Amino acid sequence: MREIRPRTPVQWLLVLAALLYAGVLLLAPIFAIVQKALANGLQPVIDSLSEANVLHALQVTFWMTIAAVIINTIMGVVIAWVLTRQQFRGKRFLNLLVDIPFVFSPVIAGYTLIVLFGRTGWFAPTAFPIVFSLPGVLIASTFVSLPFVAREVGPVLGSLDREPEEAAYTIGASRWLTFRRVVLPGIWPGILYGVVLTLARALGEFGAVAVVGGGIEGQTETATMFVFRALNDRNEVGAYSMSLLLGLVAILVLILMRLVRHNTVTTEVVNNE
Amino acid sequence: MSIKLENVTKAYGIQAVVENFSLEIETGELFVLLGASGSGKSTLLRLIAGLIPLEKGRIELDGRDVTNLPPQARNTGFVFQNYSLFRHMTAAQNIEFGLDIRHLPRAERERRVNDLLHLIGLDDLGGRLPSQLSGGQQQRVALARALAYEPSVLLLDEPFGALDVKIRAQLRQNLLDIQRELKVTTILVTHDQDEAFELADRIGIIEGGKLLEVGAPSELYRRPQTRFTATFLGVANLLPGKRNGTHVYVGEATLSAPPNSDHLSGKPVELLVRPEEVELALHAENLRGQLIGRGIVQHIGFAGPLERVTVRLDDPNSPPLQVLLSPDEARSLAIQPNNAVWIGLRDYHLLPANGNQT
Repeated sequence: MREIRPRTPVQWLLVLAALLYAGVLLLAPIFAIVQKALANGLQPVIDSLSEANVLHALQVTFWMTIAAVIINTIMGVVIAWVLTRQQFRGKRFLNLLVDIPFVFSPVIAGYTLIVLFGRTGWFAPTAFPIVFSLPGVLIASTFVSLPFVAREVGPVLGSLDREPEEAAYTIGASRWLTFRRVVLPGIWPGILYGVVLTLARALGEFGAVAVVGGGIEGQTETATMFVFRALNDRNEVGAYSMSLLLGLVAILVLILMRLVRHNTVTTEVVNNE
Repeated sequence: MSIKLENVTKAYGIQAVVENFSLEIETGELFVLLGASGSGKSTLLRLIAGLIPLEKGRIELDGRDVTNLPPQARNTGFVFQNYSLFRHMTAAQNIEFGLDIRHLPRAERERRVNDLLHLIGLDDLGGRLPSQLSGGQQQRVALARALAYEPSVLLLDEPFGALDVKIRAQLRQNLLDIQRELKVTTILVTHDQDEAFELADRIGIIEGGKLLEVGAPSELYRRPQTRFTATFLGVANLLPGKRNGTHVYVGEATLSAPPNSDHLSGKPVELLVRPEEVELALHAENLRGQLIGRGIVQHIGFAGPLERVTVRLDDPNSPPLQVLLSPDEARSLAIQPNNAVWIGLRDYHLLPANGNQT
């Protein structure tokens, strides 16, 4: 693609419009959070983030995100594998299903989970409660972040040359060994990119988690739910502090994503030479 | 006997890709399967390796029935046209892969990898990734990877197809040396007849999934049993004739019947003459081969080390003859298009007319 410096007024106007749009909609909120949170220095932020229920909310968010990422990484690779490598009835249906979390409103997703796992639901649990407890939060986080690994790995797996795998078979490697030593290194960048997206989604999820978990303080409340509650309670410092923390993590994830993508692209270029 | 195929058949839908293919290959032999694209030659190789299942038949490797074994249990070495190295592993790691999964001791693995790197002439490049190697180097690594665990047979699928002409010639020589040294039974699949001539102990001609003919390269070239082989291998002049008694009648000419052609007696035949066996002379008495008639030079072309001449026999039913002249012959003849010449045949072979079978 040939790039030019803007010369005509129309070209300048386009550049200005893009900058202004992104600036107002994307940059301004970040500035606002930083400014509000740090208005009285760093100490109030540290104090408010050290409160017991805040720490608990952070813990819940941390563990739920980790669990959702692990589950969706494994299942995402399985789904991608099945969709690219196998022929079976219902393949197109499965392909369609995977995108449901993209289009479903998280609130509706949360509600359906209550319908399913609630006391009178089809899958009403007997051993331990799911709705309004941590298993429910986990299911909700997993649900909303399900498609990312599958959708990132799928195309990579599909474009992978099959002959090295066949070579490995003739050399004597089992299917599992071939997957680990030959396929996995090839789809690794796709997995990593999917993991980053899954992480961001699970971390920031509010709607589904709020509905299923109920946002019980000190129990099922997550970081995003804490922000919501803090705003309702007019606890502005708390809300802004947590927002700042989540914002920082999000930006870190964004940078991570860039790095992964950059590495992938450079490896591709080297390998195509 | 290292490789034994019995009635091997593979079909996709109703279309047979390999049909009733039977072949036996001696231990240590380098067998070249020669065929056009789509002839089923690569499919056959994949059947032997177990990469695709067969419909019917039996495959024996080293006296062991492997027909129903997965590729992992067949102990074959497979080399693909596009190298198919493990991209994230170095050359040495690629070669080591087969030793690694067999859990050989580290010292033994290192020794074997170094030996193989030396064998393929890449001693110092073991640490390079495939992306840092040229195509020819990659293919040598692929060969070493396939040889590392001492497979009972080596299967090469158009191994030089993706390489430049010069590299190709060099690699053929490498392969020949390595194969002679290790004496590993080898099947090489190619569409390139020069490659087949240069490498093969025996050549098998495959067409439409069937094995048409097997023989030593010179035998198949000079004395093919089928018209397909005659025309597929090199340039063939085919002249219609009839064999009777001890003679062959071609147009106005009478030639002596070649030995071992009695079974064609009394039948219409086609006379196969290779371009380099056609002789041209300005005077009939200068011909040393058997005279076949007079003709007119139609075209003279440069073909590198030889001159390519087309002559038309006076007989209007006869197709134009392709002739190859050495520079020396061409100089002493000094012919031009439209010159009249006498035409003789140094060597010829008889094929049954209107059919592929003897």
